[in-house]
Amino acid sequence: MKKLTPRFIKSKHEARAWSFWAINYFTACGFMELLPWVGSGYDMERFGILAVPTPRHADVFIVAGYVTKKAAKRIKMIYDQMPSPKYVLALGSCPMTGGMYWDSYATIKRVDEIIPVDLWIEGCPPKPENIGHGIVMATNVVKSGYEGH
Amino acid sequence: MDIEEKELAFLTMPFGPQHPASGHFHALMKVEGERVHELEPHPGYLHRGFEKLMEYRVHVQNCPLVDRICILDPFPNELGYVNAVEKLGGVEVPERARYIRIIMTEFGRILSHITWMGVMGMVLGFDSACRIAWGDRERVIRLNEIISGGRLYPCYFCPGGVRRDMSQEFIKMAFENLDYLEKQLDFYDPFFFDNETFIMRTKGVGKLSAEEAIDLGTTGPNLRACGVDYDIRKDEPYEVYPKVDFNVITREEGDAYARGMCRRGEIAESISIIRQLLNKLPDGPFRTEIGPAWAAPEGESYFCVEAARGELCFHMVSDGSPVPYRAKVRGPSFSHSLVVFPYLAKGGTIADVPIIYWSLDGCPADMDR
Amino acid sequence: MIDKITSLLKPKFADSLLKIVGEGKEITLLVKKEKAHQILSELKDAGFNHLSDVSAVDYIDEQEFELVYHLWAHREKIRAIVKVRIPREAPKLKSVVDLWTGAQIHEREDHELFGINFEGNPNLSPLFLEDWEEIPPFRKDFDTRKYVKEKYYSEEEEYPVAKG
Repeated sequence: MKKLTPRFIKSKHEARAWSFWAINYFTACGFMELLPWVGSGYDMERFGILAVPTPRHADVFIVAGYVTKKAAKRIKMIYDQMPSPKYVLALGSCPMTGGMYWDSYATIKRVDEIIPVDLWIEGCPPKPENIGHGIVMATNVVKSGYEGH
Repeated sequence: MDIEEKELAFLTMPFGPQHPASGHFHALMKVEGERVHELEPHPGYLHRGFEKLMEYRVHVQNCPLVDRICILDPFPNELGYVNAVEKLGGVEVPERARYIRIIMTEFGRILSHITWMGVMGMVLGFDSACRIAWGDRERVIRLNEIISGGRLYPCYFCPGGVRRDMSQEFIKMAFENLDYLEKQLDFYDPFFFDNETFIMRTKGVGKLSAEEAIDLGTTGPNLRACGVDYDIRKDEPYEVYPKVDFNVITREEGDAYARGMCRRGEIAESISIIRQLLNKLPDGPFRTEIGPAWAAPEGESYFCVEAARGELCFHMVSDGSPVPYRAKVRGPSFSHSLVVFPYLAKGGTIADVPIIYWSLDGCPADMDR
Repeated sequence: MIDKITSLLKPKFADSLLKIVGEGKEITLLVKKEKAHQILSELKDAGFNHLSDVSAVDYIDEQEFELVYHLWAHREKIRAIVKVRIPREAPKLKSVVDLWTGAQIHEREDHELFGINFEGNPNLSPLFLEDWEEIPPFRKDFDTRKYVKEKYYSEEEEYPVAKG
């Protein structure tokens, strides 16, 4: 009879990668493609991702969509309140270079002016499959030892 | 207690921009114990200056931009803009295009109400409603993707018609999904709308009378829940609404429960409208080409559309050049979140504040533009 | 209904009513700013109980702002559009908050984005923008593309750089 050995989590990096708790911050229109992940269509909970209401419990900050100057101050405040190690994912083309609102007087064009970003996912908004691809890439990078900031 | 001591007894609490039960909307509450004394809204976290951006782009370039005014319900935005431009310029639209436009708009209304149901469940603490409802949204979103290529931002209507034709395969899929949604509505009734949690937490909360509602500028299902029979699809009909048969759902109570039940009734009516239109879809062309350098003649036009949230209006002014001179958008959530919500939250408890906010169904994006 | 309104307003405000046109279910009035508040009050008593919108247009060549009030009567199902012109230098007008409570927020938005002062409005503090130091952004002499290029884009190339 074949002996079945249980598989334990081998290192703290793997433990971090399997429990990405994301802060529940409905930033802008890019966020709407995370709703299928919350719902039963794509279901992110089986990957260990939960949406938590307070920054003190969160590991991941998903900046989904454009950031206005008024919201930029609050994003910096929330980022500072999260405990290390933390990771930042930028979703959509607006946090990358301004996107559709490149000539708007009220939005900031690059979100890495205020917080350091680890992974960019492109699209307007990106499809749920692209978001999944990005999240898997992020978990692989964390598993292999990336410490975050 | 004198005035100064009374002021110190209040605690100022934020219903903050980062909150699971508000969108990206900030309100400062003055509370005393559990009672809310005053609520002051602070919008502007999603302001992009839409109307200014529209003055730099030609009419065809504005069509993808106008979609992004409100993501929860993109079709009425396009419908209002395109109709306002056509009214200015006298553009002829073929009959088949008009039918297709209303079919997709009614699908958008079903999508918006199902999203509302999920969010309302999340706010009440009823997470299962949220997970199941947002799984059912995928059915309608896939139809959007097949006909136009975009899931949430279809950019499908353009001045002169629609961008692509509706194929027979789409019509077959539409009928299948309508049957599925009708069956799901029979499941949602005992699961959500007759659920004791929903009834207990929403009955009697946020009561609004008809005179107060009209004075504050309420429109849409919020006004119909107070007993006023105002639906732009019947009072100022546009496109092919005179040719379909449907009821306007009104209720008498004016509280959060009545607003929820109005939305549930509208889902059933939309399913019936789409069935009638798909059965009598005419053949013919689907677009009149106008070209990118088309200029509207000098003039002004005002066009109102019934969105899922209320009355969405476009005021277009043109001076004869290919770009609009002024394009003003009147979003339905502007009055709801900034005037009606503080009025209703006064005197209630803290736990009622998210319920009142979401029963008014305010979309922060279309409030700020 | 349209004839009833015309016959009601013409004798009282003959010199302030510059134009009155009715077609179908819509009636358009062009009025002088001195009697605008009274004409709107008469219209409200005649049945126009819903105020949709107060929108402002900047006619910079004529040095005037135009304010357009869109009204709707729930019982008779008719729409009324009232247009008022005010000068562009130090623009001000009497507020209609005492007639329709919901007008308070539309006037606040016009004050912030165009700089128009509404006398009688209880709260005209900034709504959307925080720490805004330039001229009101929706005026025609504010060029948003020039403002964005100076603030966010690099001088040599055409893409935005992270400036501090």
